[in-house]
Amino acid sequence: MSAGTGLLPDFPSSAWFDALVGDVDRRRKEYERLGFADCRFAVEVVDDRGTCRWFGLVLDGYDIISEGELDRLEPFAPDVVLSGPHAAWTEMVANIVRHGGADRAHTLNALSIAGFPLSARSPDPVGRDKFYRYAETLQTLFDSAGRAVPVAGGH
Amino acid sequence: MEDGGANLDERDAGRDRPLDLGWLRESRAEWGVKATPSRIGLTLKDIAVGSYGDIPDHPPRRTMAPRGSDIPDQVPDMGYTINDKAEVWSDNVMELYEEAVSRQWSATRDIPWGELAPLDPDLEHAMCQLATVLSEVEMVAADFPAKWLWRINHDFVEAKMFLCTQAMDEARHTEVFRKRALANGGGMGRATAIVEQFLKVILDAQSYDEGSALMHLLGEGLVLSLFRAGETIAPSEVEKRIFRLCMQDEARHVSYGTMHLRYRLQRDPSLAEDFHSYLDRGEELIGVLLSTPEVAEPATILAAGSLEAASELGSAATDVLRVQSIEEYLQRCDRAGLDRRGRIRLPDDMIAGTSAAPPPTPAVAADVVGART
Ligand SMILES: [Fe+2]
Ligand SMILES: [Fe+2]
Repeated sequence: MSAGTGLLPDFPSSAWFDALVGDVDRRRKEYERLGFADCRFAVEVVDDRGTCRWFGLVLDGYDIISEGELDRLEPFAPDVVLSGPHAAWTEMVANIVRHGGADRAHTLNALSIAGFPLSARSPDPVGRDKFYRYAETLQTLFDSAGRAVPVAGGH
Repeated sequence: MEDGGANLDERDAGRDRPLDLGWLRESRAEWGVKATPSRIGLTLKDIAVGSYGDIPDHPPRRTMAPRGSDIPDQVPDMGYTINDKAEVWSDNVMELYEEAVSRQWSATRDIPWGELAPLDPDLEHAMCQLATVLSEVEMVAADFPAKWLWRINHDFVEAKMFLCTQAMDEARHTEVFRKRALANGGGMGRATAIVEQFLKVILDAQSYDEGSALMHLLGEGLVLSLFRAGETIAPSEVEKRIFRLCMQDEARHVSYGTMHLRYRLQRDPSLAEDFHSYLDRGEELIGVLLSTPEVAEPATILAAGSLEAASELGSAATDVLRVQSIEEYLQRCDRAGLDRRGRIRLPDDMIAGTSAAPPPTPAVAADVVGART
């Protein structure tokens, strides 16, 4: 089920990211107003045992492409990886769903500024700085989770 | 007959020629070269085709004639002083220009000014003082590139164009913080001599190298970190949006500065010591600047959420921001090819907890071990 139809798939899943990306076309004017972007962005969700799951997003001009769940991170060659424990991610998603968009304490930038609970990492600081260059675009994308009725998004 | 370098006799002779563009037949222009637009439109990279994409390391002329055009010998020398590509170039400058043009925003239209509500007077004072400082420092990042623009050889036009976008970005940053100071009853706060001194060092830099290292890498790197933090210390949605939009612009300027210095040092590693000494001086000034009450206190109060909490927490309220911003600065220096860890000139209390902090002395280390056992 896609964002905007009432329910979001479970987070984290390829379907959840696909749903966000599915909302991009409906918000085309907002994305065009923000301007184009160029970034390979990976989300890393770490469970209690330290096992990682990765999801790839490609910001390409005014388009955003979901690469779904990645078997390995390296072949995706991310510019930047935003990493954090499962609980932090799901709290963020729940906050977005509850407020129709992240509140001040739960934006991607706010959650990662101290390096915890989320952290932005890249072997190249210029790659990491892309996370800052495209902050509004990425936040607009994640805030799409708040455009669906909050049922499954906060799992 | 000469008139400002133009040969007017030639112009008179031209009146007798047929109107057939015959004079263009001798042109070396690459007839048939056709740039293909990419998905987002026709970008600078798209038109960097054939010889038009060749940017000379040392242009043979100092003229405004477009790169790739046929240039007669009589063109006047424009007196450019920056004639080595490495002095201004960076490998990402074309994409940064396109991105800057695409991601412009308006301080009038895109900030939800109507949502500003009365704040606790301490927070309003702190926010207005921070806005005053930012409104003061932002414009130097327009003045500095503007000062050097006319000296840069026109063959590096893409770098000049990027610097024009930076001047526009900084005008908007100056505007948005001035507007914030005046929008909610607080008004302008206090300027300080140390801030002005740092700005003067950038403006008076003897070379573009010196000013760019001080501004793009050091000054704007720290401002970028402050903008990042701004989202969390912002007292309302209005400031949150201001900081996030400014952050995007600032990250472009810092990306240029990092990659420009890298380009410069890769081509002439012997310049490393010069850049170290520019940053030595800049860090000494920044160290004092960041400790000045007019700069330090507003951020601490906003981060703590109130004057009382700030008094209790002291600098701990901004410790995380301090460590993060210095680490990011050091990483950018690394990427550019300068390891600053061994010689950073920021005060010890400012680098505590960072990878530039000096190792504990044997006595201190023994104390720590003793305390653990
Ligand atoms: Fe700025
Ligand atoms: Fe800037």
